[in-house]
Amino acid sequence: MSRIALQLLFRRVLLAIPILLCVSALVFVILRLLPADPVAMSLPPGATAEDLAKLRQAFGLDRSIPEQYLIWLGKLLTGDFGGSIYFRRPVLDLVSKALPATIELVFLGLVLGVALGVAGGLAMFAWRGRAGEQVLDLGTSGLMAIPEFLWAILLILVFGVALPILPFIGRLSPGLSLPPPVTGFLLLDSAITLRLDVLGSALRHMVLPATALAIGLAPLVMRVLRSSLMEVIQEDYITQARLRGIPEHTILVRHALKNAALPTISLIGVQGGFMFGGTVLVEMIFAFPGMGNLMVDAVRNHDLPVIQVVGLVYCVLVLAINAVVDVVYLMANPKLRTA
Amino acid sequence: MATLEARGLTVTAGRGENVPKVLRELSFTVERGQVLGLVGESGAGKSMIGRVIGRSLPTGFRVASGSLLFEGQDLVGLPADRLTGLLGDRIAFIPQEPLTALNPVLTIGAQFGEHLERIGVPRGERRARAAAALKDVRLRDPDALLDLYPFQLSGGMCQRVLIAMAFASEPALIVADEPTTALDVSTQATVVQIIRRMQRDHGTALLFITHDLRLASRVCDDLLVLYAGDVVERGPAADVSAAPRHPYTRALQAANPPLAGTDRRLVTLPDQMPGISRFTALHGCRFAPRCPVADPTCATAVPPLEPVGTRHVVRCVGECLAKAAEATVAAPALVRGDARGETVLTVEGVSKHYPGKRDWLGRRGPGADAVKGADVTVAAGEFVGVVGESGSGKSTLAKLVMGLEEPTSGRIAIDGKPVIANDPASREIRLGALQMVFQDPQSALNPRRPVERLVTQSLEAPHHATTEAERLARARSLMLETGLSPDLLDRYPSQLSGGQKQRVNIARALCVTPRLLVADEIVSGLDVSVQAQILNLLLDLRAARGIGLLFISHDLAVVRYLCDRVMVMKNGDVVEAGPTEEVFSNPRHPYTRALMAAVPPEDPTVPWPPEVVES
Repeated sequence: MSRIALQLLFRRVLLAIPILLCVSALVFVILRLLPADPVAMSLPPGATAEDLAKLRQAFGLDRSIPEQYLIWLGKLLTGDFGGSIYFRRPVLDLVSKALPATIELVFLGLVLGVALGVAGGLAMFAWRGRAGEQVLDLGTSGLMAIPEFLWAILLILVFGVALPILPFIGRLSPGLSLPPPVTGFLLLDSAITLRLDVLGSALRHMVLPATALAIGLAPLVMRVLRSSLMEVIQEDYITQARLRGIPEHTILVRHALKNAALPTISLIGVQGGFMFGGTVLVEMIFAFPGMGNLMVDAVRNHDLPVIQVVGLVYCVLVLAINAVVDVVYLMANPKLRTA
Repeated sequence: MATLEARGLTVTAGRGENVPKVLRELSFTVERGQVLGLVGESGAGKSMIGRVIGRSLPTGFRVASGSLLFEGQDLVGLPADRLTGLLGDRIAFIPQEPLTALNPVLTIGAQFGEHLERIGVPRGERRARAAAALKDVRLRDPDALLDLYPFQLSGGMCQRVLIAMAFASEPALIVADEPTTALDVSTQATVVQIIRRMQRDHGTALLFITHDLRLASRVCDDLLVLYAGDVVERGPAADVSAAPRHPYTRALQAANPPLAGTDRRLVTLPDQMPGISRFTALHGCRFAPRCPVADPTCATAVPPLEPVGTRHVVRCVGECLAKAAEATVAAPALVRGDARGETVLTVEGVSKHYPGKRDWLGRRGPGADAVKGADVTVAAGEFVGVVGESGSGKSTLAKLVMGLEEPTSGRIAIDGKPVIANDPASREIRLGALQMVFQDPQSALNPRRPVERLVTQSLEAPHHATTEAERLARARSLMLETGLSPDLLDRYPSQLSGGQKQRVNIARALCVTPRLLVADEIVSGLDVSVQAQILNLLLDLRAARGIGLLFISHDLAVVRYLCDRVMVMKNGDVVEAGPTEEVFSNPRHPYTRALMAAVPPEDPTVPWPPEVVES
């Protein structure tokens, strides 16, 4: 990576600090303003008001909101993420189990979405002005018109129920023992420890949820890539390459695609952020034990310490994916790289 | 066997019975080591030949009859794969816009390497071959250049890279379509010389396509003048330029202001070249409606190409040939208004410094001085020219005068009142006296507004409070004044020709009767004959209104024709300034002399282009 890319990454990290502070404060204050008292709910029915007050004091809930925030933030910075009220376990434990699952899912969803999108975009471009383009155009309109959670249900009905070829619940088939954790990422760990049965099962479990996520991304990538290709192909340097007798497929790959990729990369950056949001519903539908399910459980049970941390982690993920895409964009665009 | 031979080549647009012929019965030959110039204004069809060779005709265009033989084989009927085999190898192209002709995301080395791969150079030799080829076009440090991207190079350097690529395969034929139009004058001279030297060394046949008759007569062995798809004149370059016989060739020559000699008012043709859609309605000579001789027999049947000298043919009938000379020779001497009025604009020691970009730690880069201490005054009725190449700061000067940029130091005054940028009071003062005409009428005119609203746009300012009837009347008088037909009032910019758009652009600036126009390169995008019309229009406006002009241009001949005084700028410095005649007849600064030497001289005995300067 060039110096200028590292500089960009460094700037992004610096910029992330105030953003994360703002988001954490916002999440914290909004949750405190909710008319819900998680402490009261976690007590047994026979508890007295005195018990409640004691417990509130123990959690620090008797102090002012800014005070509470600063205490929470201070602990967060020293690595203390607090404990879940509902699960009665450290938040860090819960997040470190759920986060790799979600990252794996989003990664697969992105790869699948981009691959389908690029292939479709190239096909649409190659078939421009012919029937194939219209069919694809109609198809993408359909894909975009139906929201991804509905796609998730449709995929389950078709591939899980009607022709039951793919699993659609959880992350692994029951009865499989987990490989020893090395990285925390199931796919990586099972590959490293050569547990191919686990790897296969995990991948099969991820096909449907990842497809549901990819369906949200692929049509957009397809359309943006197609229209950028249509623009780029008009450029003078394409004509000149043709006049040098360069074969058409070389022109497409080496000259057109490299230039048309730039707007597509920006789009993936924006949509990749949205994809994390999309995991909440998709994970719920597929009972996939990731951040989305953790979030839903936490919200349902007013588990404020978990909600706060999960909210913040989502924010970090979106910022990270944007930074990564910005760096990719920079690397792909010599005009920025050499500026 | 001729390298390239066209036999009755006819290209049509569209299908059906009465389709317009955008090229009609074109015939010529280019021998090995020869240069043929195809000369014409936009719409003449001169780029069609290159497109027939590259098989890149616009949709709907096709070769209807005739053949185009390359070393004996007809390119028109050749299977696509065999043609692709010739392109880049035996036939190469040099493009018009060097900066856009190279892929911005690939290095020069990658693109040169791809071309060498195409012509079968083994991988290991490519880099050395590319570097040697770049050295051959006098590019310094070719090895480092190979690792750069096109946008890190100047236009002239990119064009040299493309020339080196074109010659890399030792092609039999090179097609150069306006290869110097996008370049500065001095770069143009260098590039022309490189093309000529390489062409001579390699014995290549060259098809040189240009709008510039003067340049073509310097570069080419033979000339072929095209008008609306017809060959109107063809012959040895020396004969055609020394004694043009067709009224159109004469008009083309006469429309180009000279850089030396006595000033005559430019002779202009009425109207402009007909568009393709009008071709079918012109049964005879397509030039007939604009012809100063206007022999009635021409309009009914297409005249044949008549021989008038050795290998010199003209598409004209007897009457026309005899009278063509009289029609253009009678140009009146140019009357320069000496009615210098009161000083409108005073610029004293104005500088503009653009600070450098901040890096990620907030440290500033060195920045650039666009204008360094410029002094200029313009009075009513006075035309002052600012000449320089791209990056000389001449456009920045115009922006400073108009208040679009804030000067870093110095003083600007209008009617003696000092003005600054971004200040309502200064704005009022400026609007009372100054108007700007922009370079590109295409982007300067809002495409969604009809001409009538465009030309009277200034009346929309609240203090004018004009009625619709008054506005229409004003629009009509402006149209009359700028030589536009009132029929155009409800047209939209897209329905106008380039010349008409620039007239609308000027009419709009005249609406609130300014005393000074600031014009930035307003004729550079126009054809010579239209350019001549606009130049004469500006002179007429001075006679009628006593208007002053600050005229920014890269074209020395145009400035000499139009302006009373001139200043020459280079890298932000005014290197020379004075009365036009004095500066041009006796240039003091070496840069002014270099600029003048870069323009192809009228006198065919003066050698041109000058020696190549390394860059």
